[in-house]
Amino acid sequence: MHPVNQRSRQEKSWTTRRDAKAERLARAARVTKGRVIPTDNIVEALELLLIPGDRVVLEGNNQKQATFLSKALARVDPGKVNRLHMIMSSISRPEHLDIFEKGIAETIDFSYAGPQSLRVAQMLEDGKLKMGDIHTYLELYGRLFVDLIPSVALIAADKADGAGNLYTGPNTEETPVLVEATAFRDGIVIAQVNELVDELPRVDIPGSWIDFIVVADNPYQLEPLFTRDPRHITDIQILMAMMAIRGIYERHQVQSLNHGIGYNTAAIELLLPTYGESLGLRGKICKHWVLNPHPTLIPAIESGWVESVYCFGGEVGMEKYIAARPDVFFTGRDGSLRSNRAFSQVAGQYAVDLFIGSTLQMDRDGNSSTVTAGRLAGFGGAPNMGHDPRGRRHSSPAWLNMMTSDDPLARGRKLVVQMVETFQKANRPVFVESLDALHVGQEAGLATSPVMIYGEDVTHVVTEEGIAYLYRANSLEERRQAIAAIAGVTPIGLEHDSTRTEQLRRDGLIAFPEDLGIRRTDAKRSLLAAKSVEDLVDWSGGLYEPPARFRSW
Amino acid sequence: MSTAFLFPGQGSQQPGMLHNLPRHPAVAETLDEASEALNENILVWDSKEALTSTVAVQVALLVAGVAAARALVAEGAQPDMAAGHSVGAFGAAVVANVMHFRDAVPLVKLRGELMEKAYPQGYGMGVVVGIQERKLATIVEKHVTNDAPVFIANRNSPDQITISGSIRGIERILALARKEGARKAELLKVKVPSHCRLLQSVSAELAAALKTIPFRRPDIPYAGNRTARALLDPEAIREDLALGISHPVRWHEATSLLFEMGARLFIEMPPGRVLTDLARQAFPAARAVSVSDSGIKTSSILVKREKTME
Repeated sequence: MHPVNQRSRQEKSWTTRRDAKAERLARAARVTKGRVIPTDNIVEALELLLIPGDRVVLEGNNQKQATFLSKALARVDPGKVNRLHMIMSSISRPEHLDIFEKGIAETIDFSYAGPQSLRVAQMLEDGKLKMGDIHTYLELYGRLFVDLIPSVALIAADKADGAGNLYTGPNTEETPVLVEATAFRDGIVIAQVNELVDELPRVDIPGSWIDFIVVADNPYQLEPLFTRDPRHITDIQILMAMMAIRGIYERHQVQSLNHGIGYNTAAIELLLPTYGESLGLRGKICKHWVLNPHPTLIPAIESGWVESVYCFGGEVGMEKYIAARPDVFFTGRDGSLRSNRAFSQVAGQYAVDLFIGSTLQMDRDGNSSTVTAGRLAGFGGAPNMGHDPRGRRHSSPAWLNMMTSDDPLARGRKLVVQMVETFQKANRPVFVESLDALHVGQEAGLATSPVMIYGEDVTHVVTEEGIAYLYRANSLEERRQAIAAIAGVTPIGLEHDSTRTEQLRRDGLIAFPEDLGIRRTDAKRSLLAAKSVEDLVDWSGGLYEPPARFRSW
Repeated sequence: MSTAFLFPGQGSQQPGMLHNLPRHPAVAETLDEASEALNENILVWDSKEALTSTVAVQVALLVAGVAAARALVAEGAQPDMAAGHSVGAFGAAVVANVMHFRDAVPLVKLRGELMEKAYPQGYGMGVVVGIQERKLATIVEKHVTNDAPVFIANRNSPDQITISGSIRGIERILALARKEGARKAELLKVKVPSHCRLLQSVSAELAAALKTIPFRRPDIPYAGNRTARALLDPEAIREDLALGISHPVRWHEATSLLFEMGARLFIEMPPGRVLTDLARQAFPAARAVSVSDSGIKTSSILVKREKTME
């Protein structure tokens, strides 16, 4: 025995976190009733439970929002609670930034700020907000267990029982990961619930992980983010969807995949039961999905295309349909969907053959970004899905199909597909000489430019002109030529030397619709399995209940 | 969610704009108050002939905007935030309760007079639609000359931008913009090179006049022209009103900020619907209406309904 060790064993406490938590709980006891914080006491309770400088994770992702708690936090006295370090997947509500305007919080770590991206940029410039970092979802979840361990978690659930067990139902999303990181390091977990009940439909998060329950004055906000009305799908998007099905899904035998939320990918979903069927592809492609429950996937499910769907979150109106299709979706004993954003991100990053999404800008090397001037929108989950995870070891036909050499150490690649029309609305070219992201990154003083998906990860680009098979390019020069060849009359497209086009087609670096056996004139809305939200309701046998704003009949 | 009142600037004026205001006691009171502050009948300021003067245009815009806003408030339709384009900013400041209307009237009159005096001829403004700001800025940087200065002025939408300066210079830039793919590139019927540094002296004189007037903390956030920030500090608003005329109006940014702060209903004060169209284009998820089209009653019902929506 070394005397030094003995002494330190006597003097050093190993329970400082636990002790500090006990102190806070004792302090708040006068405004709480056991586990329950009475609704009207929430602001006072937060003032007693939080201390200046705390790291607070506030549940607010792009779907479910702990609205009641975020509004309450914006009302605490900045004299009592200040300099908070907020951790939020998504900055999406006005009061999220009011917390900073009022001096209650100081630093932010986040993933996505689309709906508040101008204000974030302004407040950063004005010094009202200190930037921790902008993350992808998985990075942020990961750091909750490393160097961003929360002191307090403010989360949202549907229901709680007296023991603090939570039912999060179809919208479990990221609640488990936030609670886990907080509860098991002696942080304090406060859950807002829509109602307190005697018996839960099922337990999504055990009560021993939860410190307090508060019944919200209004149900938490939930956005139907993944509903795309088929009425808005254009013939051009249908053409691109046909190319993707023929030239990518069929060619590489894509069996597992993630789709973005654009109309392009909705078109693919709606062409599977019609165009895909006519090609005899059912049972061969698109069997396993990591995807929010897109209503536009209903016809493919009903036609027997889909074996499984694992969801990041729920989608308003899809609850009954999902509950009636447990062979396809992950459901609990109560019958309702179980989602989990953290596991979905892992699955979408590592376990699927293909990611396909859209972007606002792409440069000549294939780097892309949705950042536009003066806005700091962040990333969300697209970079997790939209890259080749080089640690992957399991193989699949599509993954192996990306190998371009016979080197004994050669390995496959994830298919990362960008699907864009060459111009967006207001005549803005998608293919540009320089991404706005570079400019924004410099202005905001970010350590790296906010690129959404790096060109080196992109294997295919689909435009209304054709497909560029970037994974086949042997040099950066070839890659640029392939992109330029399908970039239409954008500045990048106009640089293209059209005498190279035939060679690129022969080498398989690009393909036009006719090379894939597609006639442009066949790309019509009549090919869509559902042409309206009403059609989707019909396909679902009346189980899908679209929110009012999507009901036009 | 919230409602933002928008106050239009020069270009929205119409002959008869004061006579055509909705009939409402608050409108009548506002017209009387304006006449008192001017010491002449405001109703002679909105004829076609009168509106050839920048002074009359600016004062009439202030009066029309404030009159309609007061009528809405009298009907129980309170705004949650306010913004005005150029001279419209004075209306926004009055409705945010930062300054008295009777103080704003002579100030706006002075603003118009200073502007008219600054560049009697050879200067003006142009508008370019259909190319992005950065591209237009590059054209201006490359082709502007010292003897015919041109500046990027107002950012009304991402691809609707005005330029200010010497007519000769503006015409050259407009021609180049058309060549670069602008859908529209034309001279505006404005005789003053507003919202660029050529009007710095106007800002200085206006600042001196603004100093003599009492300012209060606004009741609601006021979105500034020059910084596109939501301002709550009365001194910052005073500065915005003074410097606005010699700086670009960052309109798209200012209204985007209001949208991010929760505005889902934009109501444009009369006359016209220029700002309504811009808001509709910029924020498909919001509703934008003009009092000119919808009237006081419908507008106030919409405002009250907006408050009940989460």
